[in-house]
Amino acid sequence: MQIAMFPRAFLRAVLAACLIAIMAGTATAQKRGGSITVGLELDIPGLDPIKVGVYDTAAEMAAALLFDTLTTLDDSGKAVPKLAESWTHSDDYKTWTYKLRPGVKFHDGTPFNAQAVAFNIMRQKDPNNHCRCAFYIQGTEKVEAVDDLTVVFHLRDPAVDHPALIAPPAVNNPIHSPTAMQKLGDDYNLNPVGTGPFVLKSWLAGDRLVLERNPDYWNKGHPYLDRVVLRPLPDAQARFASLQAGESDLVWDDEFDADNIMRARKDSALTVHSYTGSGAAVYAFNTKVAPFEDARVRQALVMALDRPRWSQVVTNGLAKPATNPYGEGSWVKCKDDGALPYDPAKARQLIQEYGKPVAFKMLVTATPRGRANGQVLQQFWKQVGADMEIEQVDQTSIVTRAFARSFQLTPWRIIDLADPDVQMFANFHTGSPVALANYSNPELDKLLEHARTTADKELRTEDYCAISRLINKEAIWFWTFQNTYYAISKSRLKGLPKMYSGIIDVSDTWLE
Amino acid sequence: MLGYVGRRLLHLFPVLLAVTLLTFLIASLLPGDLAVAILGDQATPEKVAALRGQMGLDQPVAWRYLHWLGDVIHGELGRSFRTGETVLATIGARLPVSLELMIMAELAGLLIGVPLGILCAVRQGGSLDRLLTGSAFGMLSVPAFLWAILLIYLFAVELHLLPATGWVPFEEDALGNLKSFVLPALTLALGEWPVLMRVLRSDMIATLQEDYIAMAKAKGLRPARILLVHALKPSSLTLVTVSGINIGRLIGGAIIVETIFALPGIGRLLVGAIYTRDFIILQGVVLFVAVGFVLLNFAVDMLYAVLDPRIRHGRA
Repeated sequence: MQIAMFPRAFLRAVLAACLIAIMAGTATAQKRGGSITVGLELDIPGLDPIKVGVYDTAAEMAAALLFDTLTTLDDSGKAVPKLAESWTHSDDYKTWTYKLRPGVKFHDGTPFNAQAVAFNIMRQKDPNNHCRCAFYIQGTEKVEAVDDLTVVFHLRDPAVDHPALIAPPAVNNPIHSPTAMQKLGDDYNLNPVGTGPFVLKSWLAGDRLVLERNPDYWNKGHPYLDRVVLRPLPDAQARFASLQAGESDLVWDDEFDADNIMRARKDSALTVHSYTGSGAAVYAFNTKVAPFEDARVRQALVMALDRPRWSQVVTNGLAKPATNPYGEGSWVKCKDDGALPYDPAKARQLIQEYGKPVAFKMLVTATPRGRANGQVLQQFWKQVGADMEIEQVDQTSIVTRAFARSFQLTPWRIIDLADPDVQMFANFHTGSPVALANYSNPELDKLLEHARTTADKELRTEDYCAISRLINKEAIWFWTFQNTYYAISKSRLKGLPKMYSGIIDVSDTWLE
Repeated sequence: MLGYVGRRLLHLFPVLLAVTLLTFLIASLLPGDLAVAILGDQATPEKVAALRGQMGLDQPVAWRYLHWLGDVIHGELGRSFRTGETVLATIGARLPVSLELMIMAELAGLLIGVPLGILCAVRQGGSLDRLLTGSAFGMLSVPAFLWAILLIYLFAVELHLLPATGWVPFEEDALGNLKSFVLPALTLALGEWPVLMRVLRSDMIATLQEDYIAMAKAKGLRPARILLVHALKPSSLTLVTVSGINIGRLIGGAIIVETIFALPGIGRLLVGAIYTRDFIILQGVVLFVAVGFVLLNFAVDMLYAVLDPRIRHGRA
């Protein structure tokens, strides 16, 4: 045999070289090169904020690759520098000053600077642009460039955690090239230009977005991958099949696709990534209309909920029950959140004490998921003597009806944000347009005001837990399941960070 | 012949006008408001009202329809407020995918359906005929999404022969492009051939009982020649109609298959427009598909005249 002719010493040397190579491989785990294909649920309609108005998770994923934000969240959820190197705030937390990273260039070669940041935000706020994105930054009154590398955010309300709020690549936060936006006009939407780790190579609307490594990226040595291809694969079964067939390296998923998630967990070639963020799926009672002006009725309906069973029926047990509005991913952890127990006997008794028949209508989104959830609730409540009628409406009608308070009970959502203040204040402070329960309580208002102007997280946690106890006791809203996000990848794809806000950020991943 | 074409063309105008009216009415009857879709559902009522005024949405429906019809006649279908692209450019980018899928599916359907239809007609009542008509009925009852998933599982996941999803531009990789259409086209064809086979079979059985076929047999012509030259053409009128309607259906009707296989065609465009409330695109695509359907039916009518001289001479 050929191999027998090699001297033994030679073989030993080869073996040693192999071992060194393996050890070196484990020491520097991140490997350069390679290309991945990602299967998303939705088509990305474009990335110009004033055109698309809001980014869904698919667009956010593309934005994480093409753009940078001023800050980013580390593994513990704390804001750390990205395009901004440092920041300071005024005593009232209404003015935030960011010092920017020097020497960063957009993909079109123009310089990134404070003027670019101000231009981006003010363009979104410009009333002539009719951008729905303006709604999300209505609390930002003005952004101004003090000098090339200093930008100041003037806020309407205090924000003790502003750097964390501007971290996710949601519609408002990525910084686009002002030159490109002005030059391309309508065409900018499908030809976005950022400072991010990847550069747009080609975009076939409805089919694929091809991104290539930015060789001039300011963060030297990053990214590791040469190419990322994003493809919308709307059908869940086909998306999973594309992963099994080896056409995709990572696919978006959710708990309604429980069967495939379970299957992937048993497959060693695949890895299931999941992250439970903050926030939850929630429902709001209108406390100004019968029968919900009576706290006993509200409490009874909440005590009739068997969340684990509900989760089993709808998502094969994947959905995680929520007993407060904060969730596992939030820094707010309560020893006692005041959750009402599941107690159908007590619920029946409360309804009997109320003395009148409990019959009402609940808004439900006209989707299979909406209907399934509505039917489960109907059964739970029937068992304690309450009669709920499902009223199916279109998604946008829910919002319109909720704003106009023309509902008795409506579904809602608390989305995954780095700080609870924005949504808690809006949802529960007296007089806010989304304080859907029509409920006013000076004690609750005081706690919310205190929490938003206090920097100390322990004190804020106390406030928020007291808020949770109060809301749970009064049962003006109830929480059903936490926001949990899923992605399935080939096991050789490494380095996927936590999916904050459900965003799958593959910008710093590598292939093993 | 010209008279026939002229008469059909005259019929076309009221139909097309009705199509535009229906398209417009359907789009304006949909729940939701264009201004709300643009500004977002959390916009203040004042802002929505202002934009509605600016876009003319507060005008009466009749006024808006005439305005829109004027634009349509000038080839101006508007722009998507989400992507900024014109409706025509968007449709133009997606159309080749749907057309290719449609042609491949129809060809595959005919390739399976026509030979089997002839075979069944010749062996009418035989065990092969009974087996094929029976299984055709079974095939018809299986919905396309099930075929799609089964085919993906077999050919992509298990055998690794064909891609599970996706589409490759023809100019990038011609073979890859064809491969990416095999499973979607087959999925559609599996629901198509039974219909084609059955209509051809029954027409063919009738034709084969005509005197001139007996005459041809008596003249000693070869059976293959009788079937393909003398019997097929007069038996294919219903086949042509059904194929025409099917093609029309496939222009926009391949929604499920395009979604499952992630093909960027017209069907996916339509679904996407519904999800994102892109009313302008939605209206444009519906109009395009409806007009396409009408024109295809017109083409089928013309084909009748070619196949059957009695029609073009107005004696039918």
